[in-house]
Amino acid sequence: MSSPALQPRTRVSRLAQEAVDKARLSVVPRVRSRAPRVPFVTLVSLVLVAGIVGLLLFNTSMQQASFAASSLQSEADTLAAREQTLRMELDELRNPQRVAQAAQSMGMVIPAAPVFLDLATGKTSGVRTPATRENAIQLLPPAPVIPAVLAPEPTIVEVPPTTETTTETPAAGEQPADAKLPGTGKNKQGNKQGKNRNR
Amino acid sequence: MPSIRATGNGKRGASRGAPLLRLRIGFVLIAIVLSFFGARLVQLQGVDPRSYAAMAAAEGAARLPLEAERGDILDRNGVPLADSIRGKMVIADPVLTAGTAPDLARLLSDRLSIDYFKTLSALRGRNTGSRYEYVARRVPSTLAGDTLAALDDAGFEGITLEDDPIRDYPAGDVAANLIGYMGTDEPLGGFERTFDKQLAGTDGLATWQSTSGKGVRIPLRESTLKEPKDGTPLHTTIDRDLQWFTAKVLAQAVQQYRAESASAVVLDTRTGETLALVDVPTFDANAPTAPGVKKEDRGSRAMSDTYEPGSVEKVLTVSSLIDAGKAFPRQKFKVPPNLARQDRVIGDWFDHGMIRLTLAGIIAKSSNIGTVLAADAFSPPQLVAYLQRFGLGQKTNVGVSGETQGLLKSGDVMTSQEKDRVAFGQSLSVNVLQMAAAVNTIANKGVRVSPSLISGSAVTDEGMTVGTDVATRTRVVSKQAARGTAKMMEKVVDPEDGVAPAAAVPGYLVAGKTGTAQRVEAECGCYDGSTTVSFGGFAPADDARFTVYVVVHAPRVDGGGGSIAGPVFSRIMGYVLGRYGVEPTNGKPSRLPVEW
Repeated sequence: MSSPALQPRTRVSRLAQEAVDKARLSVVPRVRSRAPRVPFVTLVSLVLVAGIVGLLLFNTSMQQASFAASSLQSEADTLAAREQTLRMELDELRNPQRVAQAAQSMGMVIPAAPVFLDLATGKTSGVRTPATRENAIQLLPPAPVIPAVLAPEPTIVEVPPTTETTTETPAAGEQPADAKLPGTGKNKQGNKQGKNRNR
Repeated sequence: MPSIRATGNGKRGASRGAPLLRLRIGFVLIAIVLSFFGARLVQLQGVDPRSYAAMAAAEGAARLPLEAERGDILDRNGVPLADSIRGKMVIADPVLTAGTAPDLARLLSDRLSIDYFKTLSALRGRNTGSRYEYVARRVPSTLAGDTLAALDDAGFEGITLEDDPIRDYPAGDVAANLIGYMGTDEPLGGFERTFDKQLAGTDGLATWQSTSGKGVRIPLRESTLKEPKDGTPLHTTIDRDLQWFTAKVLAQAVQQYRAESASAVVLDTRTGETLALVDVPTFDANAPTAPGVKKEDRGSRAMSDTYEPGSVEKVLTVSSLIDAGKAFPRQKFKVPPNLARQDRVIGDWFDHGMIRLTLAGIIAKSSNIGTVLAADAFSPPQLVAYLQRFGLGQKTNVGVSGETQGLLKSGDVMTSQEKDRVAFGQSLSVNVLQMAAAVNTIANKGVRVSPSLISGSAVTDEGMTVGTDVATRTRVVSKQAARGTAKMMEKVVDPEDGVAPAAAVPGYLVAGKTGTAQRVEAECGCYDGSTTVSFGGFAPADDARFTVYVVVHAPRVDGGGGSIAGPVFSRIMGYVLGRYGVEPTNGKPSRLPVEW
């Protein structure tokens, strides 16, 4: 009884066993690369290092260029400023006032009426009027009047006539001895003497 | 098995507590931290995001404001009357400079020619805690750069430079009354203010990330550049050299005749371009606040002050009469010694008995009575209508702000006595350019060209377009009337018949008219005894090229339009004819009789 009962069971288990055997995963043996690993690692490292160094150099050169640009810019600014300053000086030299003063100091005057000379025929048109000193125009405003406080009366020193001083030359020679006296005082003294003599 | 598990659980529970509790505590902690983050987020993004963004941007950022260059003001030949050059402002940081202030101040004041004590107080800080003090403004770039280099060499710190453009007026006082001047940061008068919008331009800005305080750019980092837009130059019709010459001649006359002020205008007859518009006294635009410069001197009196034109106006009356067919140059008048008109008696400037003058003689001798008699043919509205077409009573709108429109009563309300006075130039007032343009109408064969000061066109601060592009031409009187009036005006400079032989230019036919008017005292509204003498005319009389009008206010030396303004006119006219190469026309002089 048991064998017929066993029969199918074993058959089932055998079938199952087969299925299990088929389905079972087994570890595949590792395929080992035969290629040497060193060159690859070296290559990658080289690319990496080259990249980093290249980037660094690139960055440095850009920074360098930036510094150069900055200093060139400031140089350009300086030169532009210099040019403008020179232009301003030129404009001041072209000021009609300055030109007229220079011309007038050379004796030139602006005529009252123009005369035209035709170069082809050599003839003049217009009335020839002499340009005189009266034609000169006043180029500078009149000097302001100085207040009396700042413009005191000039001190007039009378010098004794030279014909009479011949007898007095020894006195003049003595003067160094009196040199300690203040200059003005000395002059005044001299004046008084001169006046007395004149009288 | 269960027992083992239980024991295992028990072991873990002792070290880590119940998982639910652990989770809760963990969640609470995370929630607390996250709520702090959330609050911070709201603070950063919700409350004041801009200031934080600005602070982040400012970290290592360099900003350089790029100043737009102010447009030049040029004369008709492109010569600058006002130009801008680069300048720097010298800034001190008192925190760094206070310690070495005396030495630094000495160096700065020596090099920049500035006041030592002001420099010292700037370097020490005018307010406590200040970190930004102006030491000097508008220093030429080269000088500022050299000074900064010298400071660096000497080891001083705390001085920096910033852009500060300098406005320069190369010719100083030439046309200063028209051009105006600049204040510290803004225009304060004249064209500088009227056309500021055009001249100013728009400032730009450059920003970038910087490594150091030196402002060197970090490559490939964010940078922005907004280019500045420079101001557009303003082209005027002024001729700088002529303007200068006119000013000198006028100033000489003012001094010689001890006058209060004077103005002169030179117009190109055909185009109405103002070649010179001069006011004396004037000021140096480079130093508008110099001692001795009065406030009134900085504007243009020629445009803003009114005065009675006097006898120059007679030419307008007479040409209108001829145009209307109510008079002709040889018309004969008996001119009595004086003329009683209702309430008052009209007299002439010279004593005479009953004289017999032609209309030409009335102009040549400048007879008020004769002009009134001739103008009797006109009703007040007729005369006023003509004068309005000559441009009196209306602004010239050349681009000078503060222009007066003068005073001309409307014809409907004008009494006949007023009309009599208007006919010879009283009871109406004008500005100098108005009157010059009116005289120019006669010179331009009866066509009035509206005067201009701006070449091309420009828009004023009031939104009005002005300039030669918008100049108008209107016929006021016929060509014959203008020609006849010019012939009569030639007689004014006639050495025998005229009153102003000094206004003649040797070799040229000159037509002109003198004017001597009483001045109205502003306060009482009455005549104060002083006079305004003037001379307006043109040359060559038979083919006019230039109109010159000279007005001298309140001379303290006795004289009239012929003797004071005449020589000035002659000098200016002689110069402008030569300058523009206008040869004498060799036309026949006027042979109109003045008497009969």
